[in-house]
Amino acid sequence: MKQRLPLMVFLVLLALGPLFLPEFYVTLLNYIGLYSIVALGLVLLTGVGGLTSFGQAAFVGLGAYATGYLTTAHGLSPWIALLVGLGVTAGVALVLGFLTLRLSGHYLPLGTIAWGISLYFLFGNLEFLGGHTGLTGIPVLEFFGLKLNTGREFYYLIWVVLLSFVLATQNLLDSREGRAIRALKGGGLMAESMGVNTARTKTTIFLIAALFACVSGWLYAHLQRFVNPTPFGLHIGIEYLFMAVVGGAAHVWGALVGAGLITILKQWLQDILPKIFGQSGNFEVIFFGIMLILVLQRAREGIWPWLVRLVPVRQGRRTVAEAEALPRREMPAAGTVLLEVKEARKQFGGLVANDNMNLSVKAGEVMALIGPNGAGKSTMFNCISGVDPVTSGEIRFLGERIDTLTSREIARRGMGRTFQHVRLLPTMSVLENVAIGAHLRGSKGVLSASLHLERAEEARLLAEAKRQLERVGLGAHLFDEAGSLPLGQQRVLEIARALSADPCLLLLDEPAAGLRYLEKQALAELLRRLRGEGMGILLVEHDMDFVMGLADRVVVMEFGEKISEGLPEEVQKDPVVLEAYLGGVE
Amino acid sequence: MRIKSLIVALVSAGTVSLAYADITVGVLVSATGPAASLGIPEKNTFALMPTTIAGEKVKYIVLDDASDTTTAVKNTRKLLTEDKVDVVIGSTITPNSLAMVDIAAEAETPMISMAASARIVDPVDAKRRWVFKTPQNDVQMSTAITEHMGNNNVKTVAFIGFSDAYGEGWWQEFSKIAELRKMKMVASERFNRADTSVTGQVLKIMSTNPDAILIAGSGTPAALPQKALKEKGYKGKIYQTHGVANNDFLRVCGKDCEGTLLPAGPVLVAAQLPDSNPVKKSALDYIGKYEKAHGSGSVSTFGAHAWDAGLLLANAVPAALKKGKPGSKEFRAGLRDALEATKNLYAAHGVFNMTPTDHLGLDQRARVMVKIEGGKWVLQK
Amino acid sequence: MDLQIALLLGQDGIVNGAIYALLALALVLVFAVTRVIFIPQGEFVAYGALTLAAFQAGKTPGTLWLLLGAGVLVAFIDSIMAVRAGAPGRLKRIALWDLALPAVVAGLVLWLEPGTLPLAAQVVLALAIVVPLGPMVYRLAYQPLAEASVLVLLIVSVAVHLALVGLGLLFFGAEGSRTTPFSEAQFALGTLTVNGQTLWVLGASAVLIIALYQFFGRTLYGKALRATAINRVGARLMGISNTMAGKLSFTLAAGIGAFSGILIAPITTVYYDTGFLVGLKGFVAAIIAGLVSYPLAAAGAILVGLLESFSSFWASAFKEVIVFTLIIPVLVWRSLTSHHVEEEE
Repeated sequence: MKQRLPLMVFLVLLALGPLFLPEFYVTLLNYIGLYSIVALGLVLLTGVGGLTSFGQAAFVGLGAYATGYLTTAHGLSPWIALLVGLGVTAGVALVLGFLTLRLSGHYLPLGTIAWGISLYFLFGNLEFLGGHTGLTGIPVLEFFGLKLNTGREFYYLIWVVLLSFVLATQNLLDSREGRAIRALKGGGLMAESMGVNTARTKTTIFLIAALFACVSGWLYAHLQRFVNPTPFGLHIGIEYLFMAVVGGAAHVWGALVGAGLITILKQWLQDILPKIFGQSGNFEVIFFGIMLILVLQRAREGIWPWLVRLVPVRQGRRTVAEAEALPRREMPAAGTVLLEVKEARKQFGGLVANDNMNLSVKAGEVMALIGPNGAGKSTMFNCISGVDPVTSGEIRFLGERIDTLTSREIARRGMGRTFQHVRLLPTMSVLENVAIGAHLRGSKGVLSASLHLERAEEARLLAEAKRQLERVGLGAHLFDEAGSLPLGQQRVLEIARALSADPCLLLLDEPAAGLRYLEKQALAELLRRLRGEGMGILLVEHDMDFVMGLADRVVVMEFGEKISEGLPEEVQKDPVVLEAYLGGVE
Repeated sequence: MRIKSLIVALVSAGTVSLAYADITVGVLVSATGPAASLGIPEKNTFALMPTTIAGEKVKYIVLDDASDTTTAVKNTRKLLTEDKVDVVIGSTITPNSLAMVDIAAEAETPMISMAASARIVDPVDAKRRWVFKTPQNDVQMSTAITEHMGNNNVKTVAFIGFSDAYGEGWWQEFSKIAELRKMKMVASERFNRADTSVTGQVLKIMSTNPDAILIAGSGTPAALPQKALKEKGYKGKIYQTHGVANNDFLRVCGKDCEGTLLPAGPVLVAAQLPDSNPVKKSALDYIGKYEKAHGSGSVSTFGAHAWDAGLLLANAVPAALKKGKPGSKEFRAGLRDALEATKNLYAAHGVFNMTPTDHLGLDQRARVMVKIEGGKWVLQK
Repeated sequence: MDLQIALLLGQDGIVNGAIYALLALALVLVFAVTRVIFIPQGEFVAYGALTLAAFQAGKTPGTLWLLLGAGVLVAFIDSIMAVRAGAPGRLKRIALWDLALPAVVAGLVLWLEPGTLPLAAQVVLALAIVVPLGPMVYRLAYQPLAEASVLVLLIVSVAVHLALVGLGLLFFGAEGSRTTPFSEAQFALGTLTVNGQTLWVLGASAVLIIALYQFFGRTLYGKALRATAINRVGARLMGISNTMAGKLSFTLAAGIGAFSGILIAPITTVYYDTGFLVGLKGFVAAIIAGLVSYPLAAAGAILVGLLESFSSFWASAFKEVIVFTLIIPVLVWRSLTSHHVEEEE
């Protein structure tokens, strides 16, 4: 309960605020609330999802103009106008998202600048929207017969909306879909390999952010009762982004802190600066710019993380509830051919990384792929798992051709993998990282996550993640930040993550690297047990003792091609292999 | 999150409450952003205004709305609820003024706008009861231009204006009146303040071969289409609007603006007015004060709109003081009534005669046609 | 539309495009070396043009005081750092570049009455005031954040832009200015009339682009910048300081920006806030080039210029809508054709 205390105090203050605050502070809080709603969308989109948008102000405009136009020109109820506005915004966001979200890297922010400007000028040049001059006479909102005439009445509407959005966003982030969203920034490739449809996830958060902005615009129009294009221009779009970043773009409360701080700061500068410099200058914007630079130089992650540090350490969730185990996949009988690679060739421009590769893995065996550095083993892994498809040749998994499928679809068919260079989300807990692996074993969507209607499924997913972590020996680290583990254990974490997807074929890329002797023993023991359960394992590893003690069969690669295949003891004696490893004895 | 509430509390504590006996005038100008060239002279003008009216101290609180409606509304609310002003003067531009109307009416506080559109005060309804304005309506200025065009046998007119509320307001009024006068509008183009080239628009206009062209922009940006027209060899008449009436425009436009015609408030050519013109004295008074503070040639007609708002106020205060003390509801209502009763007030831009249905109160005397000759504004008789 | 009009529009588009091209090159350069999306580039355009205009109006430009102030601030911070780092040897350099140089420039400006000098001398003086602001801005705003993410650097850029625009309004006022042309000549080219300043813009842009090309290909500093652009860590290990590379690229960007402003000031009116949209269009061009390719950036700039010119003929009210909407498909195309492996920051 203690950790909730600051929140409770805040809520009580908010609720009582209008009763004792002077009128103007209620007005300010109203604007802060409106801005926070937009900034909250940006937290989700930019701070968490890593997609930068300068164009949110345009979505605010869509919401405001929808109600402005429909209520004044057609006399519709604002509530119907809200629905229409949300519909229009969703439509526009989907089209823009379809076009611009596929823009990679820095193309996206520019794309958002482009349509931000376009929509702004469109608002200004459409006569039925009042042109540049604007629409007047937007009606007062009525709420069950209660007219929201004054700022104090409006205040409660704005803040109830905002707080429920905050709650929904928080719920969403703490869910299966939320983990997928959090994986977008810096973990997209990994997430795809775990079965997350990242394109869809991106579109989802883009849509949510746009709808938040639209609601803010609807509220704005009825608070202001006047709409014209200037509040929806690019400069304002930039300001929304400022708010999110200054507040702390990766935290939901950062949106409120940022919006509050910037709004109050501007107001305060406007009062204080003329007293210092006299009336003649316009110093606000200069000060504002310089202050922002200083904030970013001193607190790059924004104000919120810094504020949190001032409050005594908060306890995160420390237990994982027991829950019914998730249903498991039917394992193929031992000896069934799981994976078959035929004549695979991978070419990067003129460089041939793999050629003429053939190999197969059966259920219940450990197949090791070895070879000197640069032999093309990891490339082969990426071809098999669909991360980077083959140029030509055929790959079959459980009898089905998969060389044209995406990594996501392959994961769904029961192939799990780890990466040579560890790919995990360092600031997320060990448990949550592993739970991403179980993504495909849940089905509840964004809406039920926001309302926390998927707690039963979530509990089962987390329990599964915990089970797998205990199995690989990381049971003591469930709530540590993944990035704080030593590298060797991070690799083991990746195994747990792959296992929680309940695969029948496991691709392990150098799992023993960085482990100590006893840890290697334990890992070998685990792999044997998995083999015993009927799982097929394809292993790339440099530690020969480890490989030879474990593998049933071995394939040796050099220069992208297979040079030898057979039982471990046969391969060890093969002169071609010795030549490759030890260099020719002239 | 307590911190935020704490900040709010600190901020509120930091604002010193005002002595309530003074008359408090809240001023909102667009001193930054796209309308800055209009807002800055207005802002400067408030520094020249009297600090006492009818024996009462006057306190001016000048805020900037950055040419943005949200800021305008926020700051208006601040002036009304925090500073408890007796009257709001502002804002510089039409959208901001329109957005402020509701708030001023709600607070039952008179407001004097410095923006052009007639929509701000017309029709005078329950809300606009509280709203007055000083600049001539676009209609009045448009009429002056069309009259001049009619007298000079102009049959076809092309229009190029700012892609904002200023250009839009002009297009709406001007095209209406021009049609009434049987002139044909052959082209309507837009450009942005910050555009570096208007070649496209100018070529389009010239391809329609109009007798005259009206450029509706304010300040130096309005020079760009004119220079482009001259460069491309346009020989017809070019009209500008009163928005260009400052010396910076002449400086930038140079010889390309020779012979350009525009309607303007008489303050622009005050010295050339006949002595019999009642506006001459009040206009020269303003010019003298402004140029003393900001250097010769620095005056603009926009500052004079602010000055006129101040004159309206000074004229209305004595009557309002009889109704109640400054800071009281009665005083504000009295001020409104007194403003509406303004009669024969000689100001920098004309003579104000307000009525319950006319909250502008300017007549034909508020505009003259001016020609640019030899880099000077020359009154056309 | 007839051929004559199409030609005129084409000419207009190319002249505007040439300016966008210069800015695009500077933006590509700065981004490649420092990962900063240099939105304040536009302010250097305005500062360059308006500083020159102030000379011609017989005024002392406010940018001079900014130069002195920024110099003192940089010197102050760097001196503290140098003393703390136990490297007092750096002090002499600091005093020379951050204090002496601005002081000399200030002395010249105040003593010479630049308005009376020949145009070339005025241009040199204007550049001497504006260009050193580039590395100073880098030192004050970006250097402490050199390792931050692109997003943080982008936000800093916007903040710097705001501060510089505010200062611009303070220094130069809201009204615009023009400067005297480099050349009053007019040439007839078939049915087209081309004026001298247009040729100056095109010529100077071409020369600058070629000069940059030579700079990167031939000179040691140019190669150092390229090395940093390709591999920051590697370049540092080879003894190329990222700070040096950052300052150098900002110097070049400021120089290109200011000179672009000086080039366009005779043909269009420049305002304190002109730079933003101009810079943005240069930015669009740079993005078309994927922020890496110089020739493509130049081509993209011409494309933007032409698009703008023709759309202002067809539907001037919707010009920006057209220009910025048509950019989106171009971006999609760029994004699809450029091979892209996931960015891991």
